[in-house]
Amino acid sequence: MSDQPPVFKDTIAARATPSGKGGIGVIRVSGDRVPIICRAITGSLPKPRFASYTSFLDADGSVIDKGLAIYFVEPASFTGEPVLELQGHGGPVVMAMLLDRCVQLGARIAAPGEFTERAFLNNKIDLSQAEAIADLIDSASSAAAKSAVRSMQGEFSGLVRALTEKLTSLRIYVEAAIDFPEEEIDFLADEKVEGMLDSILAEFDKVTRKATQGALLREGVSLVLAGRPNAGKSSLMNVLTGKDLSIVTEIAGTTRDVIDDYIHLDGLPLRLIDTAGLRTPGDVIEREGVRRAQNEIKNADRVLLIVDCFSTKGEIKHKVGELLGEVSSEIPVTVVLNKIDLNPDWQQELEDIPDNWIPVSAKTGEGIDQLREHLKQALGYVVVEEGTFLARARHLDALARARESVETGRQRLIIEKAGELLAEELKLSQQALGEITGIVTSDDLLGRIFSSFCIGK
Amino acid sequence: MVSATKFDVIVIGGGHAGTEAALAAARSGASTLLVTQNIETLGQMSCNPAIGGIGKSHLVKEIDALGGVMALAADYAGIHFRVLNRRKGPAVRATRAQADRQLYRAYIRRTLENQPNLKIFQQSVDDLIVQDERVTGVVTDMGLRFAATSIVLTVGTFLGGIIHVGMDKRQGGRAGDAASNRLADRLRELPFSVGRLKTGTPPRIDGNTVDFSFLEEQPGDEPRPVMSYLSSNKDHPRQVSCFITHTNENTHDLIRAGLDRSPLYTGKIDGVGPRYCPSIEDKIVRFDDKSSHQIFIEPEGLDTVEIYPNGISTSLPFDVQQQFVRSIKGFEVAHITRPGYAIEYDFFEPRDLKNSLETRHLSGLYFAGQINGTTGYEEAAAQGLIAGINAARAARGDDAWCPRRNEAYMGVLVDDLITMGTTEPYRMFTSRAEYRLILRQDNADRRLTEQGRKLGLVDEVRWRRYCEKRDAISSHAQILNETYVHPGDTAIEAVLGQEISREYSLIELLKRPKVTVDSLIQAARLPFVNKEVNEQIEIDCKYEGYISRQQEEIDRIAAQQEMRIPDVIEYRSIRGLSNEVCEKLETVRPGTIGQAGRISGVTPVAVSLLLIYLKKQDFSAVGKKQGRSRSLKSA
Ligand SMILES: Cc1cc2nc3c(=O)[nH]c(=O)nc-3n(C[C@H](O)[C@H](O)[C@H](O)COP(=O)(O)OP(=O)(O)OC[C@H]3O[C@@H](n4cnc5c(N)ncnc54)[C@H](O)[C@@H]3O)c2cc1C
Ligand SMILES: Nc1nc2c(ncn2[C@@H]2O[C@H](COP(=O)(O)OP(=O)(O)O)[C@@H](O)[C@H]2O)c(=O)[nH]1
Repeated sequence: MSDQPPVFKDTIAARATPSGKGGIGVIRVSGDRVPIICRAITGSLPKPRFASYTSFLDADGSVIDKGLAIYFVEPASFTGEPVLELQGHGGPVVMAMLLDRCVQLGARIAAPGEFTERAFLNNKIDLSQAEAIADLIDSASSAAAKSAVRSMQGEFSGLVRALTEKLTSLRIYVEAAIDFPEEEIDFLADEKVEGMLDSILAEFDKVTRKATQGALLREGVSLVLAGRPNAGKSSLMNVLTGKDLSIVTEIAGTTRDVIDDYIHLDGLPLRLIDTAGLRTPGDVIEREGVRRAQNEIKNADRVLLIVDCFSTKGEIKHKVGELLGEVSSEIPVTVVLNKIDLNPDWQQELEDIPDNWIPVSAKTGEGIDQLREHLKQALGYVVVEEGTFLARARHLDALARARESVETGRQRLIIEKAGELLAEELKLSQQALGEITGIVTSDDLLGRIFSSFCIGK
Repeated sequence: MVSATKFDVIVIGGGHAGTEAALAAARSGASTLLVTQNIETLGQMSCNPAIGGIGKSHLVKEIDALGGVMALAADYAGIHFRVLNRRKGPAVRATRAQADRQLYRAYIRRTLENQPNLKIFQQSVDDLIVQDERVTGVVTDMGLRFAATSIVLTVGTFLGGIIHVGMDKRQGGRAGDAASNRLADRLRELPFSVGRLKTGTPPRIDGNTVDFSFLEEQPGDEPRPVMSYLSSNKDHPRQVSCFITHTNENTHDLIRAGLDRSPLYTGKIDGVGPRYCPSIEDKIVRFDDKSSHQIFIEPEGLDTVEIYPNGISTSLPFDVQQQFVRSIKGFEVAHITRPGYAIEYDFFEPRDLKNSLETRHLSGLYFAGQINGTTGYEEAAAQGLIAGINAARAARGDDAWCPRRNEAYMGVLVDDLITMGTTEPYRMFTSRAEYRLILRQDNADRRLTEQGRKLGLVDEVRWRRYCEKRDAISSHAQILNETYVHPGDTAIEAVLGQEISREYSLIELLKRPKVTVDSLIQAARLPFVNKEVNEQIEIDCKYEGYISRQQEEIDRIAAQQEMRIPDVIEYRSIRGLSNEVCEKLETVRPGTIGQAGRISGVTPVAVSLLLIYLKKQDFSAVGKKQGRSRSLKSA
């Protein structure tokens, strides 16, 4: 325990530039631990305000990336605190590793708008901007909430919730043993607690494994492919990913489940989600598919609306208009006009189309490069400071801290018989999980103790 | 008739809150008057004859560290002492004393009578004199008027008190004492928000009619602990044992059969009772599957045969009480000396209080004890001390003082009450303290005595004792840190149970699990004999990692936590705050940013928005006041 840097040091770190735009990524770190972090990552403390070219080192001394490090001393920095900026060339994976390293060294991942907030509170920003900053924090946090929801979707959140529940049950035992020692229950003395600890640790491993699988890549902007059955969604997905993923058939409605995969456009991570289409559903399975599709669209950053311009020949624009009506107007759309290889007259019919209508052929590959280019342009602006990427990184960090606490607590109990230190570690663990799921207060806990055990004289 | 002298502080009520309040105010130099219904009941324990317990002895020792009377009285009157959680580690260890009621009252009364600056007067207070939203005095039932700058109200369960035994209900403040109805009516006219709570007590039994021969005896602990930092166990009177018995299925059947005449289960009682201190009928209904409940048989005193059966608090009709008591092992022919009962009483919404325990609605008026929704002597006494010192400080024009959550359980208590309010009688538990490893019963003096000295609460004797201990801890710790042992030191290796391969300082070795400071001191032949001092060194060392982490967290958030929110703030004008958050903030009206953040439903984003708003206001409206508003430092 004591060899490690303390986790509660209030130094914050985050990516500072939108990913995907330009070749460089910046990690900004602010707070008291900056000098320590700087020495550990760059090997020295560079002269303040001078950019120095250096290697960024991992814990084992291996090089994560090379780039510029700029160190600012307080109060002459953006936030008024010691600040370190690391500018690397790497894509999101490398950035994630760097950020991870900062966290290992005692930083925590910044909350949305937190750098600006600190700058303001340290008198680095004009007071007249108070309202603007309030708005920024407000909107950044709702964007972050959306990202967090996205990161929390699916199995991961279910598992974390189950884990939190297990931890709470254990805490009920431990806290009851401490606050009600005269009742006829001494949980700490029996082996039940040890058993519960072991099973919680196993659960942690399971969740972490699930969450880490591709976690670094499974981030970024989510793109949903939507369109009528047989428009060519699966084919397009295969072309974009270079893999044979969905089942391509000639029977309408076969792509029934939601299938997703991850691609990179010059370092910009994209999550592609193929859906069962937007058709008025027929059978139960299809209805389920359509429901999921609508769900995916709600959380998407952009929808790729695929239109078959062979079967709609002569009335393409009309059909597109119809389809656009089925998609929520709040989410930006790119219209992909597929199967141009089957429609020799496409150029005439598609004259004067808007910039976000891209004619392609999933079969011949025509137009695919233009589509990629268009996406890069359109999506570069979506990725803000707090993307799903950061949300997930935060979640993983919280998960790791939570597990560490349970492990330490177990040792405290078994080796030192220190029930109160087990309790402390479990509290820390639950606090860490609370960063993902919301917090349990001591009163909730007491309430559960009273309803679980007959307590009181 | 108006009394000629104006007092700095008047305390109404001579229970546990009132006595500590009066003593604290007088100790700090304020001319103080304690007005209570009956001088004979000063320091009366209404319910179980015990002081301390988990979370509670923490409060008692804090009161002691601030010069209060409760711990000394418990040592003087304690006839059975136990250390709870002895095996679970120092932070959650607690001390409990069974007290002889008469001795306890006698000690409290003597202390009050000998306290300079303090006068006692027996009379019921019926009215408060109010001028322009400020209290200026009290009126007694004889029509006597007394004037004061500050007034502390500590009338316990007496406001509109209604006592229930079965279907029988009558007015009363507790068994044998009259309720305070005129005062209750008057307070209901003032702009306070009033609720009803309920608590109960078991029947008392004539010990001569109990057969102890088959019951499990529970002697006190040896070595016998003490409550006060100033006491030694030579101050204790003769010690006696407790006994343990159990209810059985037959008991439960008898109770079930009486439920149709239970005021709790027939809707007669509206007040909410404490979940952790349920009546026996409650336990049987809610935990239907338990076939037996434990009862501790506690002595009421050395000069009486009455015993207190802890665990069967009840408001069932007297005939049912008699039947079920006699179904319990050892109680077969038991004679009940006083029936068990439940009592309903008024309490005031504690979120209407400032952290000085002054009410927001009437300045100069302080509330402490059971009327704030708490239960327990220790909780009452702790609030009494805080209200008393603040009443005195206000009379002198000094700033309010309240320990922070990381300094004392007292701070946790007050902050919980004024931030979260309460819906059931509030009792302290260690799990309410987020800094549990720092807030220990063994170090209350190290946390508070220096502050107490500055506040004028700590006398010369206590101060000298404290300083000696403090200095010994630091000098001994330094010696342990500088004393190195070397491979081949067999005495040390015997303590460790293994050889050492390099030289170590004794402190380094102390960090190892299961190595005790006493064994190291012995092996290294150091002349450190003060057990208390050695214990502190050991705990500091064992908890070091945790304490420094908690300390870091405390330091990190300190500046923000302490930032004051002005009383006049308009939450609705803060950009970005949701309606829901505004409502919560308006209800609680937090005094600091830290308190705001602890209100459930107030998000970190909302706190950020609040900070930004305050920062802007601070500059535009108050100008240079910022430096002051940031430091809510103690005296
Ligand atoms: C039936 C019963 C059961 C209880 N059960 C428990 C329990 O199980 N566990 C537990 O922890 N606590 C229990 N308590 C609570 C415990 O007794 C109180 O928490 C504690 O005594 C409160 O202290 P206090 O100083 O606020 O009030 P009290 O100790 O009630 O003191 C109030 C004082 O004010 C005086 N007074 C009242 N009205 C006036 C007036 N108008 N003018 C002047 N003086 C006045 C009274 O004479 C009395 O001296 C119980 C109390 C009762 C009555
Ligand atoms: N000629 C041609 N055929 C295509 C093109 N895109 C898809 N198809 C065919 O159209 C059919 C339906 O495609 P599929 O990707 O399964 O459509 P989905 O239902 O939208 O997923 C398949 O037979 C594909 O081979 C294209 O650009 N040109």
